[in-house]
Amino acid sequence: MSEKLTQRTAWNRVLDKLSGRSLWMLHYCTGCGAIELPPTMTGRFDMERFGIHPMVTPRQADILLITGYLSVKTLKRVILTYEQMQSPKWVVGFGSCTINGGMYWNSYATVKSLDQYMPVELYIAGCMPRPEAIISSFNELIDRIGRGEANSWKDYYENYDFYRKNQEHVFGGPINTRTDVKSDKETFRIQSAGK
Amino acid sequence: MTNEQDIINRIEAAYPDAVCKKKQERRVEACLPPDRLFDFAGRMQSHWNFPHLSAISCVDWINEGEFELVYHFWSYEEKILVSAKIRIPREEARFISITELWQPAKFFERDIHEMFGVVFEGNDDLEKYILTEWEGPPPMRKDFVTRDFANRFYHFKEYEAEWMGPQQNPQAADVQGGSNE
Repeated sequence: MSEKLTQRTAWNRVLDKLSGRSLWMLHYCTGCGAIELPPTMTGRFDMERFGIHPMVTPRQADILLITGYLSVKTLKRVILTYEQMQSPKWVVGFGSCTINGGMYWNSYATVKSLDQYMPVELYIAGCMPRPEAIISSFNELIDRIGRGEANSWKDYYENYDFYRKNQEHVFGGPINTRTDVKSDKETFRIQSAGK
Repeated sequence: MTNEQDIINRIEAAYPDAVCKKKQERRVEACLPPDRLFDFAGRMQSHWNFPHLSAISCVDWINEGEFELVYHFWSYEEKILVSAKIRIPREEARFISITELWQPAKFFERDIHEMFGVVFEGNDDLEKYILTEWEGPPPMRKDFVTRDFANRFYHFKEYEAEWMGPQQNPQAADVQGGSNE
């Protein structure tokens, strides 16, 4: 990243502070961890007091919450979803499964570490994490966004070749996601980095 | 209403080489020679009032070099489940399809073809079913070691925390050992 981008103007600081306070979350509920989300969203833990609200479409969402294991088949759908989301966007890996496969660590059909296929901003460890852990990690994410440190989404543009290579390794061939990642990269004026 | 013994008598009268057994209440097992199965299934459907094919399952008997195909037939009126078992050789396993009798058998056979590699002659759709991205051997065969495959194919994160020595993390050590082989 160039020097210019790392220096935050006062306007950027205000923007970051505000954008951290209105996050919309797309939850990809493939695993069992999704059962912890209803209490997080509803009255008891009430995610919305932090400005986080569930969103139904990828194009309007800021956070992609992966709740649990991903099989190779669902990983393809997650990548399609992730590339449709507008930057800046943050992936939160929920549960042990996204970290190292969790209890499916020796399965042939589930992918192990999510950050090989898309940049992950935060991991929530546990099998499964309680709503308190989700709330706590969202607070951490809000703080990071406010400080301008939540830049994992840029990593996808910087190391696009690395991520695409890993994705194609798992799928056994090229995939067409119909999203022009390279022109997005030019929009944000991000340079490639070797990884 | 017929009971289990009536069903067994009926099967044994029609197929003298079948070995039948009452497994438990409302469960009958019939071991048949493979060439009798199609005839048996047709008779179950049209003559003996077993219109419902619940499932086809497959068992890999690797030491005997055989696959066991189990056809489960259910009768709504007798309320009895008959499991017809046949054995076919494991190498280049082929068997006749029963899709002419039951259309739903297509999906069961397609699944068994994907998971065990059994080819069903007469089934025109044996494409990939659930594992659409899968290139390797049929994964439910006993000689496919899923752990070795996972260690070889996927990337594992190496995780070391200061509070956690290498002895206290047996799973990470296991993964490490597997990938070195």
